[in-house]
Amino acid sequence: MSFSQPKKDKEIEESLVREFQGGNLKAYDKIAEIYQKKIYGLSFNLTRNQMDAQDVTQEVLLTLFRKIKMFQGKSAFSSWVYRITLNTSYMKLRSKKKEPKISIDELMPSFNGAGFQQEKIQDWSENTESLMFNTETRDVINKAVDLLPEKEKVVFLLRDVEGLSTEKTGEILDLTVPAVKSRLHRARLFLRKKLSYYFEEFSSRKAEK
Amino acid sequence: MICCKECLDLLYDYLEGDLDQETTKSLEEHFQDCPPCISFLNTYKSTTKICRNTLNQVEIPEAIRETLLKVLKDHKVDN
Repeated sequence: MSFSQPKKDKEIEESLVREFQGGNLKAYDKIAEIYQKKIYGLSFNLTRNQMDAQDVTQEVLLTLFRKIKMFQGKSAFSSWVYRITLNTSYMKLRSKKKEPKISIDELMPSFNGAGFQQEKIQDWSENTESLMFNTETRDVINKAVDLLPEKEKVVFLLRDVEGLSTEKTGEILDLTVPAVKSRLHRARLFLRKKLSYYFEEFSSRKAEK
Repeated sequence: MICCKECLDLLYDYLEGDLDQETTKSLEEHFQDCPPCISFLNTYKSTTKICRNTLNQVEIPEAIRETLLKVLKDHKVDN
């Protein structure tokens, strides 16, 4: 499911940007209001830390203020904001000690010589609805996303969480459409596998009762 | 008939509706004969949905919102 910005919103946004570039500070307030939640949400999902997300949001909003004249409208304004948010979040992450990531390849599906699945696949999709509001489930999901390698994680956050189109995600990250698709598919396979451990265990717990 | 590996490789484009008619047909024939791939398809779809729902719940805490407002206001006065 992809989300494209409604045309009317885009026009309003473009005129706000022009007004702000012309020196109207009220237009900046509106821009900050529109983007604050998106910037905070994306930077929080990348850093998983309130303080860091606050710092990033503040810095991005100030950068928009200072550098608005540098925005030339070659790409959508929102793409520019997302790019600044990603760069600022990465700067923040780089200053911290990183935990070693697990290899994504280890969690890809495995097949026998004839190309058939080797693992037993349980269908736990029915269980997810009832577990969605459970704190433990949310923790498991957040941790799984956290473990995604950076390259796959950012595509997953922009495309599946923010709901941007494949094309727009490619524009922001400077990736081709096939590259976006392939990274997103790998991210989903990785997350599916990670969540399987949890939901399969839940199913067997339920069956034992 | 396509194998599970090909089936899972095509899953993304299948869900996006980007496959041609013939490939869609052979993929759906595979699903009919392969319960593990049906389970895989269902859990793949669920994964996207529950991750989106969980990560979309991020809200800016009120205290942080207020701090941001103040910083931006001070910054505008300085400039």
